[in-house]
Amino acid sequence: MSHTPFILAAYLISAVVLFWAAIAPVLNKRSLLRQLKNRQAQMDKTQ
Amino acid sequence: MNPIFLFFHKTGSPPWFYKYSGKLIPWLWAVFLALTVYGLYLGLVVAPADYQQGESVRIMYLHVPSAWMSMMIYGLMAIMGFIALVWRIRIMEVLVISSAPVGAAFTAIALITGSLWGRPTWGTYWVWDARLTSELVLLFLYFGVIALYNSFDEPRKAARAASLMSIVGAINLPIIYFSVEWWNTLHQGSSMGSDGPGIHPSMLLPLLLMATATKFFYGANLLSRARLTLLKQDHRKRWVQDLLSKESH
Amino acid sequence: MSKQATGTAFVALLRRDFLLAYRRRAELLQPLVFLLVVVTLFPLGVGPSPTLLANIAPGVIWIAALLATVLSLDSLFRSDFEDGTLEQMVLSGQSLALIALARTVAHWLVAGLPIVLLSPLLAMWMNLPDEGLLILIESLAIGTPVLSLIGAIGGALTVSLKRGGQLLSLLVFPLYVPLLILATSAVSSAVVDLPYTGQLGLMVSGLIASLTLAPFATAAALKLSLS
Repeated sequence: MSHTPFILAAYLISAVVLFWAAIAPVLNKRSLLRQLKNRQAQMDKTQ
Repeated sequence: MNPIFLFFHKTGSPPWFYKYSGKLIPWLWAVFLALTVYGLYLGLVVAPADYQQGESVRIMYLHVPSAWMSMMIYGLMAIMGFIALVWRIRIMEVLVISSAPVGAAFTAIALITGSLWGRPTWGTYWVWDARLTSELVLLFLYFGVIALYNSFDEPRKAARAASLMSIVGAINLPIIYFSVEWWNTLHQGSSMGSDGPGIHPSMLLPLLLMATATKFFYGANLLSRARLTLLKQDHRKRWVQDLLSKESH
Repeated sequence: MSKQATGTAFVALLRRDFLLAYRRRAELLQPLVFLLVVVTLFPLGVGPSPTLLANIAPGVIWIAALLATVLSLDSLFRSDFEDGTLEQMVLSGQSLALIALARTVAHWLVAGLPIVLLSPLLAMWMNLPDEGLLILIESLAIGTPVLSLIGAIGGALTVSLKRGGQLLSLLVFPLYVPLLILATSAVSSAVVDLPYTGQLGLMVSGLIASLTLAPFATAAALKLSLS
């Protein structure tokens, strides 16, 4: 049995999991900052 | 005030922590990438295949560092959790809860790569050997801490509950590991990832490089998540408002 | 606080818990019925082959005991939390660890001890050989208090949460793994005439460790949940 597909799968899955773990807080932070800015802008408008 | 004490005191301030961790993160990623590229080059290209296991031993460069990280992170969570509970230091609470997803990710990788390593080498995707079984229980411990944190409405209370659970889990972890190992010898299970008579230096170096690289990954990801948590928790506070207005100009 | 006062408080708490348990006795029977039903499902699911059942008997009975205990743990502190009694207990100045211990002891007596007493019935259903029966009872007698002690920590952590019960099981099951391994090993060894005292000995040390440490963790968790 060739070992290559297993090695590939292992590295690919690890890369995906680590990439997701790294990216998730960055994306969340951007969307959070956007939300907060929008709310800030709305509050400034009403005042 | 002596500089070390002053440093620790400052890290307790969310805006200070936010600002300086933001500066540190790119460096941590840079070191992680450098170590990973070099480590994987050595591991995948330069190092030989194993005499008994063949090419699949190359999965070791992922599996072993991930397993080490999964345990190290849980241990750190327990230590930081202890500090958070006893001294009520908020930044420690944030660091505990920011570590959990990273630890869970490494645990999952350790399990998946272990399973993929086992299939070509020992013929089966899963075996109830001591290490894999303990890793699986560790994954459940991580899920428990994360689920506990998410169940509370108030973030600081949630973080303290998660800290307590981490400490309880960490105390039990060695017991769980030894009992599973002992159970495994009873049932004559095959052991995955046996190291054999000793690891060849050409394999040891890439392994250690990857092990170090994962620590930098943890550092970068931890700070990144901690900053997000601080923003979320403090979004009404002055320093966040200032940050927002600074960014839009 | 004088030693006499502490002892009196402990007994008073136990008496109160028994009175409350007696009033809710229908509710307390549910986990025990669950225990019986779960064990009954196994022969129905895997077939009634006597040798198969005998082989899996220790594990099945112990897992059923774990499930039944977790069911009964959810309500450990809940009603006192909801009506404010727990808060009063924390404010009373009595050692919270002692209060936690009293509650855990009461829990074991009404939830754990019945499991021990029902075990011969379960052993019969699962065709456990006679050599294993005594050790099964011993393992449950030593182990169920540990289940209550560790489970109380989980119960205290989740008491302020809605639907805390499901989370409680997720939290405590990994912690129960060593106990499960040791207990089932002891019973299986006894059945084939292998030594089992080592396992029981380790379980006893686990019991002593939990007895001394768990109440403090439970107390910390209670304070946390009430904060």
